[in-house]
Amino acid sequence: MDFTSIFGDYTAIAPMIILLIGALVAPGVHLLGKKRTATWGFALAVVIVSMVINVLMLVDGWTGSTLGMVYYTDYSGLMMLLFQIVLFLAVVVSNASVETTRFNVGAYYALLMAASTGMMFVAGSQDLMMIFVGVELTSISSYAAVSMKRNDARAAEAAVKYVIIGGMSTALTLYGISMLYGLTGTTNIAAIAATTSITGISFVFGIALVAMIAGYGFKIAAVPFHMWAPDVYEGAATPVSLFLATGSKKMGLSVFFQIFLIMFVSGTACAKIAGPEVQYLFAIIAAVTMTVGNIVAIAQNNIKRMLAYSSIAQAGYILIVMAVMSEYALSAGLFHMFTHVFMKGGAFLVVGALICAGIGEKISDYRGLAKRAPFMAAAMMLFLFSLAGIPPLAGFTSKFFLFSSTMGVGTAAGISLESQWIWLAFVAILNSAISLYYYARVVKTMYVDTGESAERIKVPAAFTVAIAICLVAVVVLGVYPQLIFDLCETASHALLFA
Amino acid sequence: MIPFEFFLVLAAILFVIGAYGVMTKSNAIIVLMCIELMLNAANINFVAFGAYNSDVMGQAFVVMSISVAAAEVAVGIAILLNAYKLRKTTELTDAELTSLRW
Repeated sequence: MDFTSIFGDYTAIAPMIILLIGALVAPGVHLLGKKRTATWGFALAVVIVSMVINVLMLVDGWTGSTLGMVYYTDYSGLMMLLFQIVLFLAVVVSNASVETTRFNVGAYYALLMAASTGMMFVAGSQDLMMIFVGVELTSISSYAAVSMKRNDARAAEAAVKYVIIGGMSTALTLYGISMLYGLTGTTNIAAIAATTSITGISFVFGIALVAMIAGYGFKIAAVPFHMWAPDVYEGAATPVSLFLATGSKKMGLSVFFQIFLIMFVSGTACAKIAGPEVQYLFAIIAAVTMTVGNIVAIAQNNIKRMLAYSSIAQAGYILIVMAVMSEYALSAGLFHMFTHVFMKGGAFLVVGALICAGIGEKISDYRGLAKRAPFMAAAMMLFLFSLAGIPPLAGFTSKFFLFSSTMGVGTAAGISLESQWIWLAFVAILNSAISLYYYARVVKTMYVDTGESAERIKVPAAFTVAIAICLVAVVVLGVYPQLIFDLCETASHALLFA
Repeated sequence: MIPFEFFLVLAAILFVIGAYGVMTKSNAIIVLMCIELMLNAANINFVAFGAYNSDVMGQAFVVMSISVAAAEVAVGIAILLNAYKLRKTTELTDAELTSLRW
């Protein structure tokens, strides 16, 4: 299909433009109609249209740029698809959920759509300024979305923490970017990589690197910058927690890939850049993140907090990519990001559905759930086992790819990698074993323990549909990973060697 | 002409004052002001680098970051107002509001 004749110069940003128009119009639709369901239908239609256009462009292999600022490549197209899936899952259940706001529905959908627009702009940019603005668009919209659960003290508290910690991370990032700009005189990432590979690294570069890793580390909730995540995910309405845990975190990881992988992988062609030191830095962050996330998750009684710590641990697994820095590792990391959306998103959806049915967030509230809601219990079990990495589910396949990437199977910029990261795979596998403990505990509570009440419960149909989508994806991607993995391979090749 | 280092030192001092304030102050409004201080420290860096390299990119970045900071403070104050309605305080020393629990 000839997309350029339809969208002209704006083809590269067509999926975002549609979402942005939707975000601007949604409050008006709500004011005119005063019907929650109508606004929901409008938001859903906008999301689906944007998704269809993006999928068509991705399958067609369209590449190009708008004004030399936003680039549509195989990589950015795939990441945009991921953010759109997250937005789709969050929007589908928002109308049925009892936790989301009843009044400013238009603003609520507008915030979700604006946040995903920011994520998509991040995925398409090759310039630190665009990345900064995109990240901020996402962050500021998510602060407001968290606090939209009105008259709830926990949500208000979570939003205050989120905005203060988010603001501090913004300031750190900006300071780092300013140092990098001063050092190289440009904000284009490829140009920075080219300059630093000639000049080598300096003390100032070290300051910039640490400030930027810390700043974006807050966004992905890497240990030691993770303390806000459980509070925010617990306080926010469940569709918003889903959106943050699966979408906002993936945006942070995408920023890591786009800035640091390009800077160091294309930089290692020149031996002057300090590749190994940076790789060790990321390896230590990855190992500590997954260990702390998994160990602290054992002690949680609230299921949303448990899932929050588990997603901290999952971010640690994906950070293996930053340590290994090979093309294969990047494809595996992208694939794990996709499966994580479905399994973690599905688990949050089950929690949200059960809250609508009047069941609390405590793990002990799930006693005897298998009798009361067989489908919900079975879905939750599959999502949790997939998160733990049990074959033949998607989590196993993606973890297998990710951990095997540490065994020196890849090459970076023509240099074959030593198998120096095998210890990281050991740490990750031990962590998977730890995580199985707390996931299996939830399954035991649902299936073995008996609850006080045995009456059947009814969950809203929208939740059932969304959970079924996630369930199909988790099973199909586990058995037939090529469906997405081929796209991930093209994407990682496009990012690293374009 | 003012030596280049003066700008960097000024920015670094502002940044550290801001970071100190974020970590020690108990009033949420003051914490937001300290975050502004940190952002402006980075802006001074950008303007100085841009001016001494004769490059407009630094100034352009500052315009972006000022608007981002304004949006962030607007949303931050709104969120604080919401929290104030429910809790009747903007002090972060309120036990439940400060504790970042495990």
